[in-house]
Amino acid sequence: MSALPPALVGALVTILGAPFAVAAQPLLPQQDGLRSVEISVGVIVANNSQVWLDHRVTAMNPGVNRLFPYSSFRLLNEKRQAVPWGGRVRLKISGRRYVVVVPREIKDGRVLTRIRLIDGKRSLLDTTVSLRDRGTLLVGGPTETDGVLILAIGAATLR
Amino acid sequence: MTCREASNLLPLFLDGELDARQMRVVAMHSMRCQTCELELKEMERLQLLVSDSVKKRVNEIDFTQLWPAVERRITDVRIPWWSRLRSRWEEIDLGFDLRLPAMVVATALAVLAFTWYARQPDVTQPLDSQRVAQIDYNSAGYDDASIEEIETTFPSLRVYSDPESKATVLWVTDENTNLEPMP
Repeated sequence: MSALPPALVGALVTILGAPFAVAAQPLLPQQDGLRSVEISVGVIVANNSQVWLDHRVTAMNPGVNRLFPYSSFRLLNEKRQAVPWGGRVRLKISGRRYVVVVPREIKDGRVLTRIRLIDGKRSLLDTTVSLRDRGTLLVGGPTETDGVLILAIGAATLR
Repeated sequence: MTCREASNLLPLFLDGELDARQMRVVAMHSMRCQTCELELKEMERLQLLVSDSVKKRVNEIDFTQLWPAVERRITDVRIPWWSRLRSRWEEIDLGFDLRLPAMVVATALAVLAFTWYARQPDVTQPLDSQRVAQIDYNSAGYDDASIEEIETTFPSLRVYSDPESKATVLWVTDENTNLEPMP
């Protein structure tokens, strides 16, 4: 019996699977002419081990050191990414934990954003937030080995 | 057959490359024609000389290391996985064509793999409603951010709004968190 070469099988699978893949993708509508949105996520570790304020933390949110009763704020990880509506930004926090941010739509000039904090496959937090354009939400509290985590999540629409 | 025709066919006759009928005709002619017979004998002698010379040179070559070298190269050859797969595929003979069912299965697997990949972030354990935190919305304003929906497995959760900076803080508390943000 003649057999198809693996490369041809792969090509055929790709070709046949492509329509399914396209169908499975969510439609990414444009929102009032706003083509995309820039999502910024910063992972900050705060503790009282020393007095230290990372300048990148204040650049993300100037009042962060006033809002939280800690003396040290260190930026652990940061990501800034322009995504289409419905696209997702994923950032590893530490260990198995990661955050997924999905800008859904713009509503009354505010960016409706879904934020999920996940540990491996376990959902720790799943929230939908209405963010002011260029506004920031601070999510804090999860413990880290040497302090607590504070996530600074922002959204800015792009034309 | 003329001598000229026979002469053209003699080299082929000597190499045994003529068909049976031509072989018979050339043999008959050379038996009767002394010139062609002499030419044939000359060719035979030349062929013998060449053959002896080649055999002599070949016998001088040391072939003892040939097979070990070939064998070493054979064992060093790594057969790609797709070639092995193809070889096994070709060995399978169930009496009917497997290609279409195989393609369907492969396509289904590809779609499943893509679906799994696309939905991976959603593959989270369902939230235990008993563990969903009580949310304190008292301070939540309509500033930088306002909470539309929320589900969490953290034991407690508070939402603060700083009137000065208008920053919104979502503060979760797990077993080890003993400090909270400024109220």
